[in-house]
Amino acid sequence: MAVITIDGTRLEVPDHKNILECALDAGIYIPHLCHHRDLNPLGSCRMCVVEVEGQEGVTTSCTLKAKDGLKIKTKTPKVERLRMLALELLLTGHPQDCSTCPKYGNCELQMLIQYIGPKSGRLKMRTKGFKPQEDNPLILHDMNRCILCGRCVRACNELRGVKVLQYQKKDMETYVGTLHGRLLKDADCRFCGACAEVCPTGTIRDKVLDSEKAREDAIVPCRHACPAHTDIPRYIRLVKNGEYDEAAAVIREKVPFPKALGYICSHVCELECKRKEVNEEMSIRDIKRYAAEHDTGSVWRGKGKQLADTGKKVCVVGGGPAGLTAAYYLRKQGHDVTVKEALPLVGGMMSYGIPSYRLPREIIADEAKVMEDQGVKIEVNTKVEKPIELLKEYDAVLMAIGGHKGVCLPIEGHDQKGVILNTDFLRNASMGKETGIGRKIVVLGGGNVAFDCARTAKRLGAEEIHLACLEARASMTADDEEIEQAQEEGIFVHPAQTFERITGEGTVTGVDFMNVKSFSFDENRRAIIEKEEGSEHHIDADTVIFAVGQRPDITEEAGLELGRGNSITVKDIERDKKTSAEGIFAAGDAVYGTKSVIMAIESGREAASQIDRYLGGDGDISEVLAPVRKAESYIGQCPGFGYEEKKYTQIDSAKSRSDNFDLFDHGICDSDICAEAGRCLQCDLRLQISRPSTWGDFSENKVV
Amino acid sequence: MSGIENAKKMSKQEVLDKIAASGILEYGLHHETLSERIRMAEEEAQEERLELGVVAALNNADTDGVLLEVLKENPEKVTGGIAILGYALGTDKLSLHIPESAAELADLVKDAAEAENVEIVTGLVNKRAEKGSVLMHMITAAGLSDVLEDSFVAGIYVSANGAELKKVACDTKLSDIVDLSEAKAVLAGYRYIRPETAAALTVGEAEIDNGLLRILTEKDCIVAETDEKLTASRKQSCGRCVFCREGLLQLQYMNNEIKEGRGKPDYIDMTKEIGEAMEFSTPCTMGQVSAKIVLSAVELFEKEYELHMKKKTCPAGVCFSAQTIYIDPRLCSGCGDCADVCPKDCIDGKPKYIYMIDDFDCDRCGKCIPECSEEAIVKTSGKVPKLPNKLTKVGKFRKR
Repeated sequence: MAVITIDGTRLEVPDHKNILECALDAGIYIPHLCHHRDLNPLGSCRMCVVEVEGQEGVTTSCTLKAKDGLKIKTKTPKVERLRMLALELLLTGHPQDCSTCPKYGNCELQMLIQYIGPKSGRLKMRTKGFKPQEDNPLILHDMNRCILCGRCVRACNELRGVKVLQYQKKDMETYVGTLHGRLLKDADCRFCGACAEVCPTGTIRDKVLDSEKAREDAIVPCRHACPAHTDIPRYIRLVKNGEYDEAAAVIREKVPFPKALGYICSHVCELECKRKEVNEEMSIRDIKRYAAEHDTGSVWRGKGKQLADTGKKVCVVGGGPAGLTAAYYLRKQGHDVTVKEALPLVGGMMSYGIPSYRLPREIIADEAKVMEDQGVKIEVNTKVEKPIELLKEYDAVLMAIGGHKGVCLPIEGHDQKGVILNTDFLRNASMGKETGIGRKIVVLGGGNVAFDCARTAKRLGAEEIHLACLEARASMTADDEEIEQAQEEGIFVHPAQTFERITGEGTVTGVDFMNVKSFSFDENRRAIIEKEEGSEHHIDADTVIFAVGQRPDITEEAGLELGRGNSITVKDIERDKKTSAEGIFAAGDAVYGTKSVIMAIESGREAASQIDRYLGGDGDISEVLAPVRKAESYIGQCPGFGYEEKKYTQIDSAKSRSDNFDLFDHGICDSDICAEAGRCLQCDLRLQISRPSTWGDFSENKVV
Repeated sequence: MSGIENAKKMSKQEVLDKIAASGILEYGLHHETLSERIRMAEEEAQEERLELGVVAALNNADTDGVLLEVLKENPEKVTGGIAILGYALGTDKLSLHIPESAAELADLVKDAAEAENVEIVTGLVNKRAEKGSVLMHMITAAGLSDVLEDSFVAGIYVSANGAELKKVACDTKLSDIVDLSEAKAVLAGYRYIRPETAAALTVGEAEIDNGLLRILTEKDCIVAETDEKLTASRKQSCGRCVFCREGLLQLQYMNNEIKEGRGKPDYIDMTKEIGEAMEFSTPCTMGQVSAKIVLSAVELFEKEYELHMKKKTCPAGVCFSAQTIYIDPRLCSGCGDCADVCPKDCIDGKPKYIYMIDDFDCDRCGKCIPECSEEAIVKTSGKVPKLPNKLTKVGKFRKR
């Protein structure tokens, strides 16, 4: 320890700690610009100059080390004059258009100008005349605004080890850039964003950073996009290092179905992945799958929260992803939880909607087993008709009944023999029961469920399968991958069709269609369809499957208020899952209509938290399962990084997969997984970088 | 036996002792003993847990590179000196920096460098990156070889008025090397001195740190000379420190404006303010020293600067004299296009009359020349014909 004095304040500080940080940490503001806590001191901007008693001249406090007895003055006329001159000099090459600068209000230089208030008009001003570089993905460079503090160069070289940004000089003008002015991708930039993070001015900026979102969410968009906010960059990093158990534990901190999600998650995270701006997005779902498949449970098993029994009893109606998730976390909060499932197996749509060629059933059983091990009681084949009566036995009830009733459109001929509904068909197929299909099938609908129906029919032996929907090909809601695979399997896809009538006299003989010229919604969300004249045509069929949506299988007799699409009404879909009946909550598809497994899980988590609070708990269901480690910030060089292509999964040929229900997508292979995980930009690393300290943060400067 | 061969027969401590005993000084801008520099570097390396190294170079501020002759002449001496110190300090992190302007020298010294495992680096020494290394002038390194050969003699390398570089004894009088009788100023090292001051100095006292000694006579313009030096420094500066990058730019801009007759009254004071601050506002000699030339110029030759600024006169006849811009009265059609573009508003006349350029206010920017559709505006360094001195109608001007 050393005892030093700054402006008369006596401070005890560690030996060799730099004086600027000693002062800032003690609440004494010294102006600074090139200094950054995470970077080696440079001492080039001269803003932080101070006088040391007994020494001639001035010295930069960022490079001055604490030593016993040091007496420092930060506000003498001499240092203030020099600071002023240094700032004046800095500004001669900086545009004077703060108000049009995108960094306005967040610019450290602007704040320094406000603090120091430099003289102006004495010195020769100049325009550097660099062309702003906007051709790079994610990062913008406007070297006209650069004041050469060198933070980005140090961040890129010392902190990250990527070594792309360097000082360059052209026509006596120094600037920061890549060698020979190469584009970042060609210079092997890793797009970590550290340069933009540390830039004090508007020189290096994010091309796309949603200012509506919280900073952290905008910087790591995948994690924000995931309904359950799974810590995606963190588990991808672990997979890259071959630490699959740790990776699976990270996933399990937010979702209790890592493996099922690895197979069938709707992966909205991938839509937001910043890597897609560089070339292609990350295969986030398949990385998750790899981690879950290689997990031995050594990290998370037996860990996590299990509060003492509270004596409260909760009944969860419905054993799908929402219900099971809620049950699992409620059990961990110490409640006695019973799940009542109407069907013979738990899993909800994971067991009875999603075909087993996409999600093998033993995966659901394994993951549900974890919940039973935690103490969740599961009763199958138990349909609840009157939830209110459950309150006699239970302190709270959660309705997570999903949407198991298919929707039939009231078009001409819909009530004939041979017309079946998506939910019934998929459920019967899953249970190995007779489905009632013939040889020539028409599926009406363009979502993933419609494709599940068509591809299931194919596997059950149907000879000719057509799928028709109202939407144009580009706006079909099914995944592209799903559509392409169905076509490979010989299914005919007819986008932009109206369903005129189902023909037949008591038994289906086919469907009449017309082509759609345009299709949109008016302001009341009513469909406006323009048909193509004279485009009537007919497809022969003996079976028509409606796959145009599904609704909760519930009636008013249950005693709960129902809303649009037969959904269970809750106080506030986002925030309050209480239904019209006291003590009864609702979650999942039953509340907001058919969405995705990951949405259902998040809804279940939220319901668990709310019910826990309702029962007197604190509602905090968060848990730490994976070891908490600081991620390695020195990511190093990686030639060709920006060009590394996305790795795809191993998929069986259409011929070998379309006559059986075996899993056909085998995930990313062992030899590709490390490379795929290594493509991650690690956007979250940026959040480890210290935020700048500006004079407004210091109490002495605060306006009272 | 070369110096390095001798050194390797001794223990490391013996070599260090021999260096200390020789009293060899760091050459160039830093004047402490080499032993002191070694001690400081060792201390720094230990404190910051850095690897010790040896770096030889010119001073960063040296834009002329006349001392490179020593390297050209005998590369083995320089690389040998680096290796001697590397041996004594037990480090193999050895490097020799060659200025970018003399990058072609790398080929010449390649063999010598390879023999001693010295890395050749082109460009300035980055003082921050070389923390923990002993930085020495390449002349010091050459001297070190001499020390180990027991042939070291202290001396100063001087190239007088562009002549061949010679090593002279420190107590040689300046007046013995150059003729001061015609001198207006003496450029000694990085700054000017007056001839009468120079007459009293020995080369050891004259701070000829870069080997440069030049006599400026009445035919040399201090302002123009300074402009060249400042421009060379701007080109050489790495541009990372504010004061070196922006300070030099301002100094050179103001000096150039003065040279062009556009100097403003506060330029001298501002030159002093910025130049003096530069001396202690950068870590390397590039910023610390390169303002000295203009500081000494405005201090010693204030009159000459004032003449440029106030009277647009260059006593040496170097500036201004070269050119005059005039409007040929026989060609002018009296359109007035030239007057419209003149930034100085120094073209008089009115439509249909012959336009005239006020030679005193004109700063020879030449913007009017392309405007004239008659090609009547002429820039010349030769004789100017008789021109009208009052408003004259187009076509009415007669040579009398």
